Amino acid sequence: MSGIKLTGVSKSFGAVKVIHDVDIEIQQGEFAVFVGPSGCGKSTLLRMIAGLEETTGGQIRIDTEDVTRREASKRGVAMVFQSYALYPHLSVFDNMAFSLSIARRPKAEIDAKVRAAADILRLGDYLSHKPSQLSGGQRQRVAIGRAIVREPRVFLFDEPLSNLDAELRVKMRMEIARLHRQIGATMIYVTHDQVEAMTLADKIVVLKAGVVQQVGEPLELYRNPDNMFVAGFIGSPGMNFLKARVMSAAAGRLVVELEDAPGVPFDVPGTAGVPLGKGIFLGVRPEHIALGEREGSVPLKATAEFIEELGGTGYLHALTATGAEMTVECRGEERPHPKQAIRLSLDPKEMFAFSERGERLR
Amino acid sequence: MLMKEGRSKALAAVLMIAPFVITYRTVFAYPVYKMFALSFTDAPLIGEGRWVGFDNYAKLLNQKLFFTSVWNTGYFVVLTVVPNTLIGLGLALMVVRLKGWLQSLVLVLFFLPYILPVSVVTQIWEWVLDQQFGIAQYLIEFFTGRRISVFRDPIWAMPMVALVTIWWTNGFNLLLFIAGLRNIPADYYEAATLDGATRWQCFQRITWPLIWPVTALVLTLQLILQLKIFDQVYLMTEGGPFNSTYVLLQLVYREAFRLNHGGLGSAVAVFLFLIIVTVSVLQYQLLRVRGR
Ligand SMILES: Nc1ncnc2c1ncn2[C@@H]1O[C@H](COP(=O)(O)OP(=O)(O)O)[C@@H](O)[C@H]1O
Ligand SMILES: [Mg+2]
Repeated sequence: MSGIKLTGVSKSFGAVKVIHDVDIEIQQGEFAVFVGPSGCGKSTLLRMIAGLEETTGGQIRIDTEDVTRREASKRGVAMVFQSYALYPHLSVFDNMAFSLSIARRPKAEIDAKVRAAADILRLGDYLSHKPSQLSGGQRQRVAIGRAIVREPRVFLFDEPLSNLDAELRVKMRMEIARLHRQIGATMIYVTHDQVEAMTLADKIVVLKAGVVQQVGEPLELYRNPDNMFVAGFIGSPGMNFLKARVMSAAAGRLVVELEDAPGVPFDVPGTAGVPLGKGIFLGVRPEHIALGEREGSVPLKATAEFIEELGGTGYLHALTATGAEMTVECRGEERPHPKQAIRLSLDPKEMFAFSERGERLR
Repeated sequence: MLMKEGRSKALAAVLMIAPFVITYRTVFAYPVYKMFALSFTDAPLIGEGRWVGFDNYAKLLNQKLFFTSVWNTGYFVVLTVVPNTLIGLGLALMVVRLKGWLQSLVLVLFFLPYILPVSVVTQIWEWVLDQQFGIAQYLIEFFTGRRISVFRDPIWAMPMVALVTIWWTNGFNLLLFIAGLRNIPADYYEAATLDGATRWQCFQRITWPLIWPVTALVLTLQLILQLKIFDQVYLMTEGGPFNSTYVLLQLVYREAFRLNHGGLGSAVAVFLFLIIVTVSVLQYQLLRVRGR
């Protein structure tokens, strides 16, 4: 029903094109997250869907209706701003009632709707407070409440948690997930934080420089990235990339050698047809590297630099002989000392091959 | 040791605030005191006089020109304070919509009159409104059917002085309002637009309440400034015609400098001083409360 479909959507500010031919389809009730580094055009795309930014080219459909040129208020979307955009001179109640009172709805209806929203968000005790008397998390909830009261077809969130401290951010993340289950509306959520994207999304849209890199479920993006950018962006800490050379290719397998471990050929999944002798990148996640030597793994010598200790796990940062930076997840008790020479084992089954230009080879 | 350090600190502090204290005493506190003191004497313009109690104030209450001046000053305040504030806000609302250098240019153009000295301002407007060749006479003729020598007409004189004053001082109000409007985040308006608010509703529900502290400040500054009206009247009408533009400060000037009645002049000045202090404090408090 309230699905959203973007077809060939683009946006230019003057001569600068910031959104390039974006095609995305979001189903009714889906929680979609736009994620990408800052400046990649996430907010712009969201604001185009909201109708706050004009669309230069392409088509935006909500519920199969073409809304590309429709005014913002007639699109049936509500937006939660990064800054919350709460009116400082109005009480929580009046902030949440704003849209209804603009539309001159009857008092009883306004009252009922605001109270219902306040119940969902546990704001009942604060309705007469001014925004300045609330904590960051409460303000955030008022901003969401203002959107709920409108009963929109689509909720839009622009980095709603970026002004909160880390602990509150995790809590609010849960609340937003709960809210989505509770009201089941279509939601689009913009963030630069891939952890937020992974934990909240039904569908992630990865953007880079205004171009969609990949669209998919969180685990699919994690397990099967389309390119080096997505591979490096999704997952925390990020994937390690090592230079390698193709020795031979056969039926969906490539035989390769790491620059850091010459003379140790092994095979990884990848298309035949990659020119022999050509350089490629191999990606391997920190959790697929082990300390010490393992049977069936690719050995690699490195020097420990420092450890990010989290208690149960630690992340070892190390440098290879050619100066490539590696991050290794250490689960056990064992923690190398800084400057210690170490041996790493890379699991070839968990490796991703990318062309020199960063495209996935599969 | 500690005592010594404390004392040298205190000495440094005294030295540093001394210039301010001395200046303030010499050019503000003492003259104000002297004004109050003189108003109870029959002093001439220069020199001391004899104590006469409230005689000067009694004299004022028997002087028709005093009441005329009070009335005219009030009339001028009514003609300038609120209109000047609203015009400043209206212009600011338009100017903030402009982008980049165009906004700066328009702002400079509106601010330019404010930096002109009053004599230049009045000269410009005497030309503009000149009965023979003034360009504004076309407009006056269009609406009234005849040319009018506005500064010689008791009905027209004060409104024209007010007009000139607004033209002269509006740039400053505009600047204050622009600063205030720029402080209102753009997403307030975007959120309201998404909620279906019209432009008028945005103004009513967001701009007006949020700009109110600036409006209250501008109103108060205007009130103080306009109660002190003198230069424009002195240069353009000299209080005429038929005393229709005679104002309080002009009465001070007349009594003290023309008629050599330093005491009586001071009494008028005290009266004006008290009005300004009371009215502006009252107004600012009232406006602030309303803004809550
Ligand atoms: N109003 C604007 N005028 C010109 N360029 C803009 C404007 N808004 C955004 N941009 C540019 O568009 C790009 C994307 O911005 P934005 O959507 O805010 O990125 P994100 O939200 O992903 O951090 C940036 O390079 C930014 O400089
Ligand atoms: Mg953004």
